[in-house]
Amino acid sequence: MIQLQSENASYQGVKTLHDIDLKVSEGEKLALVGQSGSGKSTLIKLIYERYPVNTALVPQDYGLVNHLSVFHNVYMGCLDQHSTFYNLVNLIRPKADQVEMVRAILSGLQLEDYLFRPVGRLSGGQKQRVAVARSLFQKGHLLLADEPVSSVDEQQSRVVLKQMLNGFSTVVLALHDIQLALAFCDRIIGLEKGRIVLDSPAKRLTEQDLLSLY
Amino acid sequence: MKLKLFLSLLFSALILFSNVALSATPKTLVFSAIPDQDETRLKQRFDDIAKYLEQKLGVPVKYVPVKSYAAVITAFRNNQVQLAWFGGLSGVQARLKVPGSQAIAQGIEDTKFRTYIIANHSTGLKPSDKFPTGIAGKTFTFGSKGSTSGRLMPQYYIEKHMHKKVGDIFKRVGFSGNHSKTIALVQSGAYEVGAVNYQVWEKELKEGKIDTSKVSVIWKTPTYPDYQWTIRGDVDKVWGKGFTDKVKKALLELKDPELLARFPRSGFIEAKNSDYQPILDTAKSIGLID
Amino acid sequence: MDSVYKHSRAWKVSWLFVLLAGFSLFFSDIEIISLEPWQELKRLFLGLLTPDWSNFSEIIQAFLQTLAFAILGVAGGSAVGFLLAQIFHWRWIQISCAFIRAIHELFWALIFLQIFGLHPLTGLLAIGLPYAATFAKVYAEILEEGDKSALQAISRNASTISTFFYARLPDLWEHFKTYTSYRLECGLRSSAILGFVGLPTLGYTLSSAFMEGHYSVVWALLLLFYLLIATIRYWVRPALLPVYIIAAPFIVANDSTISFDNVQRFFTEDIIPAPIMRGDSLSESWHWLSDLLVNQALPGIANTVVLTQIALVASGILTLLFFPLISSHFFKPVGRTLGHVLLVILRTTPEYILAYILLQLWGPSMLPAIVALALHNGAIIGHLIGRYSLEIQLRADAGRGLNRYFYELLPRLYGQFLAFLFYRWEIIMRESAILGILGIATLGFYIDSSIQELHFDKAMILIFITALLNVLVDALSRYLRAKLRLTTNVDCRASNDYCTARE
Repeated sequence: MIQLQSENASYQGVKTLHDIDLKVSEGEKLALVGQSGSGKSTLIKLIYERYPVNTALVPQDYGLVNHLSVFHNVYMGCLDQHSTFYNLVNLIRPKADQVEMVRAILSGLQLEDYLFRPVGRLSGGQKQRVAVARSLFQKGHLLLADEPVSSVDEQQSRVVLKQMLNGFSTVVLALHDIQLALAFCDRIIGLEKGRIVLDSPAKRLTEQDLLSLY
Repeated sequence: MKLKLFLSLLFSALILFSNVALSATPKTLVFSAIPDQDETRLKQRFDDIAKYLEQKLGVPVKYVPVKSYAAVITAFRNNQVQLAWFGGLSGVQARLKVPGSQAIAQGIEDTKFRTYIIANHSTGLKPSDKFPTGIAGKTFTFGSKGSTSGRLMPQYYIEKHMHKKVGDIFKRVGFSGNHSKTIALVQSGAYEVGAVNYQVWEKELKEGKIDTSKVSVIWKTPTYPDYQWTIRGDVDKVWGKGFTDKVKKALLELKDPELLARFPRSGFIEAKNSDYQPILDTAKSIGLID
Repeated sequence: MDSVYKHSRAWKVSWLFVLLAGFSLFFSDIEIISLEPWQELKRLFLGLLTPDWSNFSEIIQAFLQTLAFAILGVAGGSAVGFLLAQIFHWRWIQISCAFIRAIHELFWALIFLQIFGLHPLTGLLAIGLPYAATFAKVYAEILEEGDKSALQAISRNASTISTFFYARLPDLWEHFKTYTSYRLECGLRSSAILGFVGLPTLGYTLSSAFMEGHYSVVWALLLLFYLLIATIRYWVRPALLPVYIIAAPFIVANDSTISFDNVQRFFTEDIIPAPIMRGDSLSESWHWLSDLLVNQALPGIANTVVLTQIALVASGILTLLFFPLISSHFFKPVGRTLGHVLLVILRTTPEYILAYILLQLWGPSMLPAIVALALHNGAIIGHLIGRYSLEIQLRADAGRGLNRYFYELLPRLYGQFLAFLFYRWEIIMRESAILGILGIATLGFYIDSSIQELHFDKAMILIFITALLNVLVDALSRYLRAKLRLTTNVDCRASNDYCTARE
């Protein structure tokens, strides 16, 4: 599914990933853990660049359009599945069937009340869930999510993560919350200074093992 | 809020309907004239001439006001104007640009046209039959850049008598734009000396518009041919054979003193292109025409 | 304090410009020529007290034409500019746009008058073409500076148009709208001025009335123009724009036609240099060209540069005098309101009209042009700097009056001030050239003369030189801004001030 071999990557001119070897198989749920600046985001981007087809992405900065409604931001996940004309009409007059599909996804994320509210007027946590909703609406084989629950409270985080893991067969998450990583993923990759320093099934690890990374 | 919207709607509706006069009748004869004096009254001056011609020719005739001498020539050349009341120089230029076009009529006065050199009394320059060499070192204004009586002829005579280019004779050289303005500027002292079409001077003098305690004529140029009606060579193709002659006849038969005063001329007589050879030669000699 | 008043670069550059302007003064001719300038000024102000609306239908007609040309020109320009903005990264598009922008609307009008004569296309293109080039540049900057984060999450298979309309346009819409409506205001000014060269807009009636000294009519026209600009936000509404755009062609339509022969003739005969048309020998051609360069281009360039440099520094000085008028650090609300009225009037009146008025009063020296350019530009920048001064929070015990001005405000505003002034540099130069049409011996004078003498080949060469000069000054201004690290610290996206100063 994903195969990276001795990959390097730079971010803003600074080399942030060194010699990365990574293989992910279909159906795996992967968590990238490590300090901020350890290269998690760059790795997510690198994977997205290599495997853009059929992949949904939840970027760290959400990638939302503030002046568009929640509905349109979520619908944006599927622009490639409709004609340009259909998209433009939907922009002005939302199609009823699309609205229903989006509403269903939003209700799973406790966002259905905000369907037609401009994203710019939502709180940070709400925005983050809209970004997740967009990826769920998009569907695909692979989900790449960079800190998708960083602004959401503990209890909601669990709901959101569950939705994401159910929605995609293969998932790569960058997570700074070790507890969540251990609870929801089946494989943990530890990063430090741009190198993979840990690669192990979650079952074999405890929180203590991971704390050394921080 | 609602009121504002309503007002805006009303306003736009006004714009939409206030301008439905979209005539597209193809065979309107369009004529124009060089804006040689009082621009605010150009339309009043020439709209009645259009009516006269329309009645005489039996085709729709329209006058379009134009802002500059060059623009009349361009419009004539572009066939957006088929008939024009040109000055000597502009007529020559136009006929050079539109082969086949002809001068068909001129004012009786135009065979012996003159330019007056006028001066503000603060200069101390006195009227004389001899060329006033005392104008050297003064500020000087022509009329329009493309004018015969306001630029071409005075420049020619001044340079001939002073043996220098105008730029080297005067302290400052300007172009007022038209003859009325030249008189106003010299009278106010904005310029000390100026060159003006004698017809415009005499007319404004008669109308009491000139303060003779401030400005007077100090020299008169020799005579030269000036204004004329010029028509495009292809009008017969559009309005039928003999149309040129019909227009010429209509102009020569214009006797209404009220209408003639608009030019101002006492009547029109025949003209031909060769009448204006002296103008062409002069224009070439001072480099206005290559 | 050090950063401004000691030996900082900004301080040195400022002095350099002041010295240059002082030096230029020696070469400029700045006397008042009229014998009774104040008499004429008195008549002008008497006209203000007795505006003459008797020719109402003609006045309304002139305004409708002004509006219609502005709306069509700006609408066309923004549509084309929007498309060009998408490919603005192509170097040759940038260069062509810079070149087209460098030529003033009035020069474009003079060119198109030769091609299309009195056909409405002349006015439409005279506004639309340079505006399209400006729109292309600013729209491209808006696109470039805007938030692109939404793009990363969109599938690469989605169509470009869909992606643009969903992921980019919504967040940029406000900026496009703000800038475009600001340009509509500029378009009204441009459209009004086109009348001076013969289009049936406000300038036509205005210049005719002025020629004859009908100052009451002049004021009727000017007052209505101020009203039109002041109420712009009430009558320019997105919902109404389609109505205007549909109505405008009917207003500008006249029955003149375009013939392809004229267009062809213009490009294959009129603008081909005479020596080439005549098949002159090389030495004859060189004689023709050197005569043009030495007797027209060089004096024209010299006068244009002299006028520009003096007007630039004069604008700067006026800015420094003007901005306290609208700043709460110096004046109480009543005083500020008067200050605002003054600045609004000065910046609403196109500098061309301002120069025209002063020229009628004082005679054709450089003085009217300098004063007009300084008043107009000083009012624009003064307004912007005045607004910035409001963002400065002073300590409770800060000095008052001149102490406050020189110790507290000027040092903090100086960088901003220089940045805006350099932005206007190129614009002042473009205007300096164009004011030649009014009789001051800048490049515009020689261009207009060539056109009046039907030497379009010479006119085109001179226009080309004018454009080059502008591009050069633009580059110089950009270099200086970079060197002095002058950036407008305002977000272009959040306010149109930046755009205001720029165009």
